[in-house]
Amino acid sequence: MRPIQEVLKERPWLGWIIFTVTAALVFLLGLLASTIVERRAEAVFAYTPQITFSQFEPRNEKWGEYFPREYDTYMKTAKVDFRSKHNGSAMVDMLEESPRMVVLWAGYPFSKDYRQGRGHYYAVEDVWYSLRPGAPSEGNPSPLPNTCWTCKSPDVPRMMNEMGAAEFYRGTWDTKGTEVINPIGCADCHDSRTMNLQITRPALIEAFQSMGRDITTATHQEMRSLVCAQCHVEYYFNKNIVEGVQYLVFPWKNGTSVGEMETYYDDIQFSDWTHALSRAPMVKAQHPDYEMYLTGTHASRGISCADCHMPFISEGGVKFTDHHIQSPLNNISASCQVCHREETERLIADVYSRQDKILESREILEELLVRSHVEAKKAWDLGASEQQMKEILVDIRRSQWRWDFAAAGHGNSFHSPVETGRVISGGIAYAQDARVKLARLLAVLGHTSEVPYPDITTKAAAQAFIGLDMDKLNADKKAFLGQILPQWIKTGKERELTFDDR
Amino acid sequence: MSFIRKLIPPDQWKLPVILVLALFTGLAAFSFHISNASSYLGDRPETCVNCHIMAPQYSTWYHSAHKGKTHCNDCHVPQNNAFTKYFFKAKDGLRHATMFTLRLEPQVIFIHEAGRSAVHRNCIRCHKELLTDSKLMAYNINTHNNRMERSCLECHRGTPHGRVNSLSSVPWARVPLPGPVAPDWLRKLTGTD
Repeated sequence: MRPIQEVLKERPWLGWIIFTVTAALVFLLGLLASTIVERRAEAVFAYTPQITFSQFEPRNEKWGEYFPREYDTYMKTAKVDFRSKHNGSAMVDMLEESPRMVVLWAGYPFSKDYRQGRGHYYAVEDVWYSLRPGAPSEGNPSPLPNTCWTCKSPDVPRMMNEMGAAEFYRGTWDTKGTEVINPIGCADCHDSRTMNLQITRPALIEAFQSMGRDITTATHQEMRSLVCAQCHVEYYFNKNIVEGVQYLVFPWKNGTSVGEMETYYDDIQFSDWTHALSRAPMVKAQHPDYEMYLTGTHASRGISCADCHMPFISEGGVKFTDHHIQSPLNNISASCQVCHREETERLIADVYSRQDKILESREILEELLVRSHVEAKKAWDLGASEQQMKEILVDIRRSQWRWDFAAAGHGNSFHSPVETGRVISGGIAYAQDARVKLARLLAVLGHTSEVPYPDITTKAAAQAFIGLDMDKLNADKKAFLGQILPQWIKTGKERELTFDDR
Repeated sequence: MSFIRKLIPPDQWKLPVILVLALFTGLAAFSFHISNASSYLGDRPETCVNCHIMAPQYSTWYHSAHKGKTHCNDCHVPQNNAFTKYFFKAKDGLRHATMFTLRLEPQVIFIHEAGRSAVHRNCIRCHKELLTDSKLMAYNINTHNNRMERSCLECHRGTPHGRVNSLSSVPWARVPLPGPVAPDWLRKLTGTD
C-alpha cells in the first residue's frame, strides 16, 4: 500500500472526503451521546415534582396545589358516611357501645370520653372536642402534655425542626394549642423534594434503634407501612429521659409482641395510672395496630398498610395512590379483590365472622375484668392488706393489658385474628386467676356471697358508678370550645399568613 | 491473517489513525457509560426504567401481584435458552433504543407480535398447571380451542400492568431513576453534589 501522502497528492479531493466523513461521524456520535444525557435529565423533571414549598409546610392545601389528585382523595377522609358492622368512618361512642370500658378505665381520662376517631381530616378537631385533654383555661392547664399532639398534625415536624423533639413534648397540651392547627397530612409522610416516603417522628426511629435496627434501610414497600407505624402503634410517655418532659417512647426494646412489651413495662416498673377501684398499677395499651398487623398473614405475604387502605385507583387514564385512607370494607374491589377473586358479600362476611368471634371472647374478658375490679375494691373495703392484694393486682394488670391490646387496635381482629384470639385468651386466664384468688381472699375476710355486678347498662350509669361528674366536665368543655378554641385557631391562621410561600 | 495485515496502516498513517480511533472509542465509551449499557446484560427491573418512559410499566408491575416473583425479563424475553434470550433482548433493545433516541415513542405503547408471543409462552412457563389440570379440563367442551389456540393475553389483558398505560398515566410514580452521570468525587470537586 502506498503512503497516504502520495495518494492525496494525486487525488486531493480524497482528503476532503476523509475529513468530512470523520467529522460527520464524530458529530453524529456526539449527538447520540447528548440525547442520552438529555433524556436522562428529562427523567428527573418528568418524575420529580418541581415544588416551591419547604419540607415544613404544614398546610395540606399548599401541597395539594401540586398534587391535586392525591389531595382531592385525601380530602375524602372528611367523609363520615360509612359504617361497617363494627367500625367505619362515622364517629362511634365506644363507651356507649360498651359501658364496661368506663369501669375498666376508672381513674384514667379514657373513662370520661372515648370515641372512635374519624378520618385523618379530623385528627386535630376530634382532639379539641374530646374530654380527655380537659378544658384548659387561664390558670387552669390541661392534664395532658404536649406529647399528645405528636400524632395529630404536620405542624409537629415543623415545630420539632424549630425546637427539637424534647422541647416540643415539654409543657401541657394547651401551651401549643395555637401551633397545632393542621390535621395529619402530606408533610407527615412525604419528603417535599422527591415525594419519597419518609419518617418524620423521632419515636419510631428511636424504637428501631432500641431494637438494634436501622430504619433508613427499609424498602419502599416497608415504608408503605412504616409511615403508618409512626402513630398506629403502642407507646408510652417516659418521664426519665429528659427532665420535666413526658418523652414519647415505643416499648419495642424486647420485641413487639404483647408479652415482650409487657416484660419491658414490668422491667421499668411502669404504670399509666392506678386503677380507681382495684388500685391495680395499670398499663393502658394504646393502639398496637402495626405490631398486630406484623403477626398476621397479610404481613407475612409482604402486604403493606397502603396496599389495602390506600390502593391504586385509575381516574381519566391516570393511576395514582388513593389517599382516601379508609376501611377497605368500603372499597372491596380496589383492595381485597385485587388478590381475592371472590364475591364482595363473601369477603365482607369473612371479615365480619372474624370480628364477631373475637368480639365474643373480648366481651367475656371485659365482664371478667369488671368483676375483678369490683371484687378487688370489695376486698380493700373489707380491710385487705397490700401483701394480700399484691399478686391479684398483678393478675389484673396483666389481664387488662391483654384486653386493651386486643381492643384498642380496631383492625386487630381482622389483621391478625389468631394472635388477637391468643392475646384475649391469655387475658381471660389472668382474670380468672385473679378472681379465684379474690374469692379465697374475700372468704378469708368473711365475705362468701357474690359481689354484685354493678349497674352499668349505659355509659351514663357506668360513669355515675365510678363517680364522674359528667355535667361539670361537659360544661367546662363547652366553655373551652366557645372561648379558648376560636383564639387558638385565629392565632394559628395569622401565623400562617406570615409564611413565605416561596 | 493477510486481511488483517492489510488493515494495519503504513507507518506514516499510524499517529493520525490512532488519534481518530481513540476519539471514536472515547466517545463510544462515554455513550456506553451514560446509557448504563452494561446493565442491559442483567435482569434487574431498574434497568428498564433507564428510559423514563417505562415508568408506567415499572410502577404498575411494582404494585402488582407479579412483583417479588418476577422481573421484566421473566415475561418479556424468551427464557428457553441463553442464545434466544440474548438475541431477543438485543433485537428488542436496539429497537427500543432507536425509538427512544429519535423520540418516536407513541403516547400509548402497545406490545408487538414478537413480544406478545414471548409473553404468552412465559405465562405458560410458570402457569402450565392451569393448562394441564385435568380437573379444569373435564367440564369444558371447548377446552382445546380455549386453552391451546388462544393467547392468555386475550383475557388477562390487565395482568399485571392494568388496562391503560399512557406515558402520562402515573405522574410522580416513585420509580428508580438513573443516578448522576459524574462520579461522586467529581461532583464533590465541582460542588454539584
